[in-house]
Amino acid sequence: MSDANNRRGGPVLALRQITKEFPGVVALDKVNLTIGRNELIGLVGENGAGKSVLMKIMIGLIPPDGGTISLHGQPVTLRSPGDAIRNGIGMVFQEGSLVPNLSVMENLFLCHEAGFRRLGILSLRSMRAAARELLAQLKLGIDVDLPVAEISPAERQMVEIARLLWLTKLYGHDNPVLILDEPTTVLADKERETLFTILREIKSRASIVLISHRLQEILENCDRIVVLKDGKNVTEMASSDARLQKIEQLMVGHSFSTDRFHEDEQRRRGEKEILRVENLGKAGQFQPLSFSVGEGEIVGLVGLVGSGKEEVCKCLAGLEKADSGSIFLDGKRLPAGSPRGSVRAGIGHIPIDRRSEGLALMMNVAENVNLLVLNRLKAGGFLSPGREKKNARHWVEECQIKTPSISTLCANLSGGNQQKTVISKWLSSRVRLLILDHPTRGVDVGAKDEIYKLMRKLAREGIGMLVMCDTLEEDIGLANRMLIMKDGRLVQEIGSAPKTKPDPKDIISLIV
Amino acid sequence: MATMNGRSASLGRRLPAPVAMVGTWSRRTGILAQVLTLAIIVAGFALGTRGKYLSWANIQTILSLAAIPAILAIGLHLTVVLGGIDLSVQGVASLVAIFVGLLMKNQYNSHDVGLWIIPIALGIGGAAGLVNGVLNTRLRIPSFIATLGMSWVLYGMAVYINRAVNIQILDERIFKAINGMVLGIPNIAILALIVAIIMQFIQDRTQFGRYLYAIGGDEAVAQQGGVKVEKIKILVFTIAGIVYGLGAALLACRLGVATSRMGNSLLFPTITAVAVGGVALTGGLGGAKNAALGALIVTALNDGMVLMHVNPYAQQAVNGVVLIIAVALTLDRKKLGFIK
Amino acid sequence: MTAARNGAQQESKKRSIHPRQIPPVYITVALLFVVGLVFYLGNPNFITPYNLNTIISFSAILLMVALGQMCTILVGGIDLSVGGLVSFISVAFIVLIKPIGYLAYPACIIAGVLAGYINGFILTRVKIPSFIATLGTGGILTSLAYLVSPRPVNLAPDLYGVVDIVNGSLLKASNVLLIGLVVLAFFLVILRFTATGRNIFYIGSNIRMSWMSGINIVKTRTIAFMLSGLGAALVGITISSVRFGGDPVVGTSYVLNSIAAVVVGGTALTGGTGGVINTVFGSLFMSMMDNGMTVVGLDQYLQQAILGVMVIIGVTLTFDREKTPIVK
Repeated sequence: MSDANNRRGGPVLALRQITKEFPGVVALDKVNLTIGRNELIGLVGENGAGKSVLMKIMIGLIPPDGGTISLHGQPVTLRSPGDAIRNGIGMVFQEGSLVPNLSVMENLFLCHEAGFRRLGILSLRSMRAAARELLAQLKLGIDVDLPVAEISPAERQMVEIARLLWLTKLYGHDNPVLILDEPTTVLADKERETLFTILREIKSRASIVLISHRLQEILENCDRIVVLKDGKNVTEMASSDARLQKIEQLMVGHSFSTDRFHEDEQRRRGEKEILRVENLGKAGQFQPLSFSVGEGEIVGLVGLVGSGKEEVCKCLAGLEKADSGSIFLDGKRLPAGSPRGSVRAGIGHIPIDRRSEGLALMMNVAENVNLLVLNRLKAGGFLSPGREKKNARHWVEECQIKTPSISTLCANLSGGNQQKTVISKWLSSRVRLLILDHPTRGVDVGAKDEIYKLMRKLAREGIGMLVMCDTLEEDIGLANRMLIMKDGRLVQEIGSAPKTKPDPKDIISLIV
Repeated sequence: MATMNGRSASLGRRLPAPVAMVGTWSRRTGILAQVLTLAIIVAGFALGTRGKYLSWANIQTILSLAAIPAILAIGLHLTVVLGGIDLSVQGVASLVAIFVGLLMKNQYNSHDVGLWIIPIALGIGGAAGLVNGVLNTRLRIPSFIATLGMSWVLYGMAVYINRAVNIQILDERIFKAINGMVLGIPNIAILALIVAIIMQFIQDRTQFGRYLYAIGGDEAVAQQGGVKVEKIKILVFTIAGIVYGLGAALLACRLGVATSRMGNSLLFPTITAVAVGGVALTGGLGGAKNAALGALIVTALNDGMVLMHVNPYAQQAVNGVVLIIAVALTLDRKKLGFIK
Repeated sequence: MTAARNGAQQESKKRSIHPRQIPPVYITVALLFVVGLVFYLGNPNFITPYNLNTIISFSAILLMVALGQMCTILVGGIDLSVGGLVSFISVAFIVLIKPIGYLAYPACIIAGVLAGYINGFILTRVKIPSFIATLGTGGILTSLAYLVSPRPVNLAPDLYGVVDIVNGSLLKASNVLLIGLVVLAFFLVILRFTATGRNIFYIGSNIRMSWMSGINIVKTRTIAFMLSGLGAALVGITISSVRFGGDPVVGTSYVLNSIAAVVVGGTALTGGTGGVINTVFGSLFMSMMDNGMTVVGLDQYLQQAILGVMVIIGVTLTFDREKTPIVK
């Protein structure tokens, strides 16, 4: 930190003791971040370390609960992204924030076209000229009249950076702070090089904060690296002092209570193979890979965002179509890209967002639990209320869903119980393979424990599970085996038998 | 170099390839597809009517018949570009028509506002549009229900004031002016052209135009980029209402008669004109020139059917089919997810 | 980890009580009594056996088309073609009685279901939003009605027997009422006791989840529109029977009335909430409004304006804004 302060004029932007809490979780705990002039800083940390929350605070999307933000030594309050831009802070989001049907130049100057206005009319010629000049500074020579939807992702990013540079200059800041969130995920190798060349050049008139999970490129390009973990600062170092292993070690290393995941209940993989994936690939998402899941086995899919693991699960659940390869469940080939096909074959999917994808919130517990098995709950060709109640009650008990009654609306259940309702919906339909997408996200500690126990129980009954967890510890603790994915490739399989669980630090080096 | 507004975003579709290509191509080239369609229609009917279709008298008829739908379509398409829809054109037209009838020289009362009717009509239409906009933005009612409901309300008001009686407009000067011609081209068509040019210019060359397309393209991004979405939306609905007011006033004056039933069959052809003109229902694409051309195409089509003695009721069926096809081709399905 | 533009939505551990705890049905029933009282005060003739019978009969007819409309609204669409379908069936039915007698009943019913199927097809396969698609098909149906008979067409007196099914009165109650009850029972059974009916509610509540869970979205939505076609066809048949004649304009008011009945009854346009009972009370209410406004002497033309206002209010109250952050 002394490094930044010593630069001429002191830090451009200083965040001190920033705290942010959400119900049940402390996202940031007295975090400090200082950004000096002409610096390229890399911000790293695991998923959930607090990077995105910190960034959102920096650009005014959410307010901090505690701490101060000061710009050139003066405290500021940022109430909106607009405020941030006016103060010279801008962010390029991962999904991009350009309007697809507007042209490049229209996007560049959106809402700030006043300078090109004469008597209320926009001068397209001057807009075009200004746009070309702006882009030329970034070595970009595209046609500024093209709709943004028709240029490549790399070019789109450049346009966004150009817009930020222009806007901050408009507001009179000669050293703006630009935040780039995972800019290289959508780029090909050569485009990445170009990006960094441009960033190094921009450095002479801006400070840049780069969020990336690619530690290698952070090391190669950034001046300083800031590591966050569990919402706290861990360390900062000049990249010249940093070593890859040191950083990896610092990113993980939570305390490990062995019994949290009921590892004593972990069973061995059964004889039968439930899921077999052969050369499944999807262009742009993941390379052809193969693996299998056996009876009663919990397989963890481990990797950072962008590793392709989510897309693999989507293909298994039928939500997306793979380009190549096949999926076999119990030996039978699965139709591609059909949720119906996957569900019928016996694949269940607990989605990451249970409210918008897992439940019918305005319907009651019984209706949600019985959704998949209505055909089995009939009497004389029609749905039988008696059988429905029986089935619902059975599963409420099995999964220990705490609800006043089976007629309670799901919207009124707590997060953990909602999650258990989603799980029972699938269990009721006798799934063979259950895909769990961050099953304990947003769930309190007590319910988390119940879900782990439930998973062990399912394993005992022979159900195979493919799980993606919030933390590496959870993955290691729950899984029999882990499939490590990085940059769209399945790089390694690691066993995780009870009593011989691998160390998170070993895994980390594989996924970054 | 082609203009910015007719430009497409090739964001992928799930229609069979040849159909999808036609759709994408028609969006990309701005009005080229529409001009071609018009040419085909004209050629077809010229053959079918053995040249009668191309007579100067008929062309004048087409132009004068297309003028008012064109104006109404120019109003309506603004809301469609925004990403919503405006189904209130009937109600607004009925209400404005009644005021036009009662305030201009007529046989029931002594009012004779003459040309002052124009600002009055625009004002009424604008007020109705303003309410639409507020319902959509402040009360967060989806535009199709808000405008549908408003249409019923306005129509009810119109009929209440007028009790379904025909009011004859006796203002000779205005009647002659509207139904006259300059150099053989109907005045009303020239007026429609002027409105189209002005609106297109606003869309191309003002900040308001940029915001309009930004909201239609991606409302969330536009909001974050600083566009004052609520204000623009209200403004757009108001402008649409004003344009409807103009169209309704012209219609009443042209016919020389005002009744509350005047608006009854306006919605359908106006929406068809907008869709056929290439204004995508998903928003963000298409301009006043598209709407006006669309109206011209629909009018040319109906005129041809009349000349060829096609059953009038079958004509409406044809219009229905044309509407569905036009929407199907211009819709950007990637944007819609689950179609409602 | 994606930095979402719209801010973090962290899960709350606390129980979140959903804002709409009071079932909208209670509101409708309360309104029913309150407004009924107002009408009675305006004109005591409002509460006479004859008048009440009129109200209930009309509500039975409205209910048939409203139930179908409810199905389409529940699956997230809307059916603006019911007016055209009612008109078309009303003339087609009368015209068909001469050549094929009693077969006119099943023929018209099948025609209605077919029209609904086509609406569903255009929505699910051609993927055109239902409000445009049904606007289009409604126009086509209206013009078909005129094609069949541009003017009101009367049933020849010697054929009156054919429509006795509707005009008779078994069990001392008008058959119209009985038919309404049968249709109500039919919809109740379908919606509550069949998987497809339940799926309509699932789709209405959360279409993405329904898709991910393997529910056949195309089939369910198509069936919803077919049910709407069925309801409209039955209404066309009933009206023509009661009047002993068909009329190509008879259906126009049913679009507004059916949507109003559904929405005022408490079924949300966003789908999920609402049901058959809601629509029953909604139909009763609309019928009562229609009748009451005339009995009390309110201008006939103002009534339509009031209906429009009610639809807007009804939507405002039931629309689930959490579900659709961006209202188009």
